[in-house]
Amino acid sequence: MSPIIEACGLSKWFGEVVALNNLDIALDSPVTGLLGPNGAGKSTFIKLALGLYSPSKGSIRIFGEAPRNNHRVMRRIGYCPETDYFFENSTGFEFIYWLNRYWGMQHRQAVTSAEAACDLVNMTERMHDAIDTYSKGMRQRIKIAQALTGCPELLFLDEPMNGLDPKGREEMYLLIQKLAGKGMTVVVSSHILYEIERITDTVVLIYGGTLLAQGRVRDIRDLIDKYPQAIRIRTTQARTLAERFITQEAVSSLEIEENSILVRTRDPNFTYEMLNSIALEDAELIQGIACSDDNLQSVFDYLTR
Amino acid sequence: MTSFINDTQTAAGMNITKEDLFFRPDNRPDHSSYFQRFSASCAHAMSMIARRKRLAVAALIAFLPVLVPLALAFFSTSQFAESGNNVFVRLAEDLHINVFTPLLALFFAGMLIAEDIEMRTMIYILTRPMPRSAWVLGRFCAYIFVASLILISSAVLTFAASCVHSNLSLMSAGDIKLLLHYCGVMVLGLFAYGAFSVFLGAFTRRPIVFGVILFYGWQHLATLIPGLVDFFTIKKYTTAMLPLLATQRHNPVIETVLGNIQREVFLVGMPKALAALVFITVVSLLLTIYATYRREYASDRAAGG
Repeated sequence: MSPIIEACGLSKWFGEVVALNNLDIALDSPVTGLLGPNGAGKSTFIKLALGLYSPSKGSIRIFGEAPRNNHRVMRRIGYCPETDYFFENSTGFEFIYWLNRYWGMQHRQAVTSAEAACDLVNMTERMHDAIDTYSKGMRQRIKIAQALTGCPELLFLDEPMNGLDPKGREEMYLLIQKLAGKGMTVVVSSHILYEIERITDTVVLIYGGTLLAQGRVRDIRDLIDKYPQAIRIRTTQARTLAERFITQEAVSSLEIEENSILVRTRDPNFTYEMLNSIALEDAELIQGIACSDDNLQSVFDYLTR
Repeated sequence: MTSFINDTQTAAGMNITKEDLFFRPDNRPDHSSYFQRFSASCAHAMSMIARRKRLAVAALIAFLPVLVPLALAFFSTSQFAESGNNVFVRLAEDLHINVFTPLLALFFAGMLIAEDIEMRTMIYILTRPMPRSAWVLGRFCAYIFVASLILISSAVLTFAASCVHSNLSLMSAGDIKLLLHYCGVMVLGLFAYGAFSVFLGAFTRRPIVFGVILFYGWQHLATLIPGLVDFFTIKKYTTAMLPLLATQRHNPVIETVLGNIQREVFLVGMPKALAALVFITVVSLLLTIYATYRREYASDRAAGG
């Protein structure tokens, strides 16, 4: 039986820019993390898999078929893009409803499915509000909800954790695991290894458009632990938050900035857990988390040496 | 803070959860008909157009000619009294057909596809198992409905207002026939200009700019240049569709002698003009549909990024 996603010598270039170069991948596991720094080619790979791009060279097959303009494949795929773009002036419900109609659902089914999808991501209360009034996390939920309608067998989530607060991330991890438990094959792209590690053991590392490594997270993580990871935490109480971290052994350095602190840690897992507990204690204290690529970059540097 | 994932809720007396229902494979819509997707695209476009300020602005501009016959009646003295027929014909030709028809096409049709490319909502639509032709034609149909409604309402009101002058009556079958003839030409113009505008929207990043240059710059210039260049305008064919009396009266202020001769020699008859307008509409729409299958709209370059 052929793998769900199979790429052979897959290359894609835009003018003189090579986005993907000679990629050979076979993905079959329930959840796969597509890992690489920004600009590595993760989104290009996903768009090739969705049939939004045609390969410049090589081939990609989804469920054994070429995906470009292939409705049989499209019917089995869900996609949550990285970017926040929605139909102008629409509500969350309307956005999903119209996409359901484009899917081919009749009015009644489109309504029921949109409501159920909003319910699934707990957006029922706000689903009739304009998307412009949503927080980043709510928009992310709506994007995921639209990807789930039509009951896809293969789900692509492009940087789904971007902009989510610690609790939102935690819920996203659980959701992805739950979807995998329902029999869906999920491909999650991220530039942060620790995010991926929370949800899967199988990763594909892409760097500069080429496949760097494919395999278990643990093996890659061993490489990363040699380098401290930088985490920027947005907060209005930078000093209070800094006090919590400065005493920790795992923290190798800490910088206080305007409305944020930059923590460099040798034990990111511990730091993330600590962030979670702080967020649960005081939801106002942490406004956002951004992880730098530095650590991952170090691994890529190490692997490409 | 509410949980991202909804609690499992059981249906009364059954072990089926809402999530189970949502993820049931038979929740996936059946193969729906082409017409269903076409009507979904049409209905969505209508709902989007209805919410735009652009609609109010377009309607406001299109209804301005209604005031002209009334103003003429109010200000003119009896010795300079205008014939109602003359007033209506001049307004219908000079404003409704030559100015407002291309304007409404650019206002609405030009952005039908371009807006989704610009706002990057195209990727949601392109990942749905939907025939691109149903999407394009559905949107085009919505534009035709809205633009025709505005333009014909304005023409009918202008006709009614022109009846305050002599020589035009709402009760005269001949005059009503004249009105219907002009309305027909307007609709044909909306088809041709609209289809060409949709094509511009699918192929260029600045459909409005190109449209203004072509419709208001090139078309005017082409009628002044001697030779056959005016065959490459839509205006030539809409003008050829006008009632004979009106075309005889048509007298551009600036003309070259040679250009005038050429136009006399190469006058296009009504059937050929109709065929030309249908040809422009069909070819433009086919090229647009072809573009939506071939172009890679998901790339930043296509989106203007």
